[in-house]
Amino acid sequence: MNQVACADCSRSLASKEAYELNGKIYCGPCVQKAAQRAKESGQPAAIARYVDRSICARCSTNIGENGGVELGSVRLCAACATMVQDWPYPQWLKISLAALLLLLVFALAHGRKYFEAGTNLYRGEQLVEKGQYQQALPYLKETLKIAPNSDKGALLTAKAALLSGDVLTASRALEGHNGGKFEKSDKPEFREVDDLWSRANRAIGELEQASKLEEQDGHEIEAAKLVHSAAALYPHFPHMDILLDQYDEGVAFAKKDYDAFVSLAEKDWNVMPAATTAASLASALACKYAVTGDSAYRQRSEEMVAKSKELAQGDKESLARLGEFEERNRYRLESRQIITRNEFDRKFRSAKGTAQ
Amino acid sequence: MFFIPGQVIALLTFPGVIVHETAHLFFCKLFKLKVYNVCFFRFGNPAGYVIHENSQNFTAQFFVSTGPFVVNTLLCVVFCTAAFLPVWELQVNDPVAYFFYWMGLSIGMHAFPSKTDLSHLWKAAPALAKQGNLLAIISLPLSAILVVLNYGRVIWADLGYGVLVGILGPIAIFRALTRL
Repeated sequence: MNQVACADCSRSLASKEAYELNGKIYCGPCVQKAAQRAKESGQPAAIARYVDRSICARCSTNIGENGGVELGSVRLCAACATMVQDWPYPQWLKISLAALLLLLVFALAHGRKYFEAGTNLYRGEQLVEKGQYQQALPYLKETLKIAPNSDKGALLTAKAALLSGDVLTASRALEGHNGGKFEKSDKPEFREVDDLWSRANRAIGELEQASKLEEQDGHEIEAAKLVHSAAALYPHFPHMDILLDQYDEGVAFAKKDYDAFVSLAEKDWNVMPAATTAASLASALACKYAVTGDSAYRQRSEEMVAKSKELAQGDKESLARLGEFEERNRYRLESRQIITRNEFDRKFRSAKGTAQ
Repeated sequence: MFFIPGQVIALLTFPGVIVHETAHLFFCKLFKLKVYNVCFFRFGNPAGYVIHENSQNFTAQFFVSTGPFVVNTLLCVVFCTAAFLPVWELQVNDPVAYFFYWMGLSIGMHAFPSKTDLSHLWKAAPALAKQGNLLAIISLPLSAILVVLNYGRVIWADLGYGVLVGILGPIAIFRALTRL
């Protein structure tokens, strides 16, 4: 380290601690006084750090008065000059950056399943926003396979399922999320699903009650009222309109309004040609035959029974129910007596059936 | 607002400091500026620095000053994107994802250029902006915003910026990808 002497107090000090003023070298305390004097005498008073041109400005290596490399206003040793002109990236930095890149590649590969789940979540969300709930469900179900505890995933799945009448899927999505617990239950998304969920459950309760009443004679109007109330609460069940009509058919049957019975059954058959709607129409036509004796009704009723059996092929449960119904319908056509299923059971058998 | 010493924050988010200084160094080298000293990380204030010559070339000045802002912001988005879905949307307890989110936020937090960097830009920009220099025109509002944000560090504006970029960036990317 080069030593220099202060022009005022003659103290010897390290050159890097010295200052320069008007060509003279000073120590820290003296330079202030010298600047004050210079100012008072009208001389320049700008203080600058003393640059010892015999040492490297970076590493303080002695380079002599004429050695080293001059870069701008500083003189540097050869090693420092090379470094300053093209500062190298340290080895540890290169290794760290390479490691970081590898980690990033690993994270992207590791996160592939999350990426797919997330993409499905966003696709599902977009479809839910467009009101395409049924189309959204497959995407959202895939998301929940990877992330069952995702608030957004579970709530969107439940919403899409509930708004497309799929209460079971909604139940699975909600139960699968921390055992049905949501921390942020004040969020509007949660409140919306909670409201839908409670309405769906109340509707299910009313439908179950209606189903029990339907099995008893004389409660058709009460049962239909419950189904209408359930439909108002939660209109999203699939084929809710058909279910409403079927209960209304029960009311028409009880009131012996067979024209209304036929009209409703005919409408449902046209809307949804299935074994159940065919059987209902067959039953209504048999009633019309019983009261009018018009063989056209009988013929069509028999055709609808055949159609119903044809549509139920492969479905053992439906075929069993149709077997029970066919027997009662045949009795209605042959005797032209209109009796309820319970009356039929009491009269001819002890086993219970389901169709009207 | 609670106070945490800057050195503790720098220690907790050291990758951001290293990336910031590396970006400075990268642009200095790119524009062939002399670099007198570099500190990638230390327990002090500032936590890192690059001492380089002042360039007369505004383009070099612009990129050396704002380079770390762009690089740190982009890396924040990249790292947070790798971790965003499991951490935020899917709520999966994956330590690798949390590590990457910490990495992303640390980098994002150190995106703001220092006041010294911005003051150089701020001094040179007006005259060049009058001559129609596009970078100078851009740098005026950018510097103004960054100066304000720099002062906002006392109320955690740097953390706020990191979180904002680390959330909004990935959301924008995923939304765009799912619309494709």
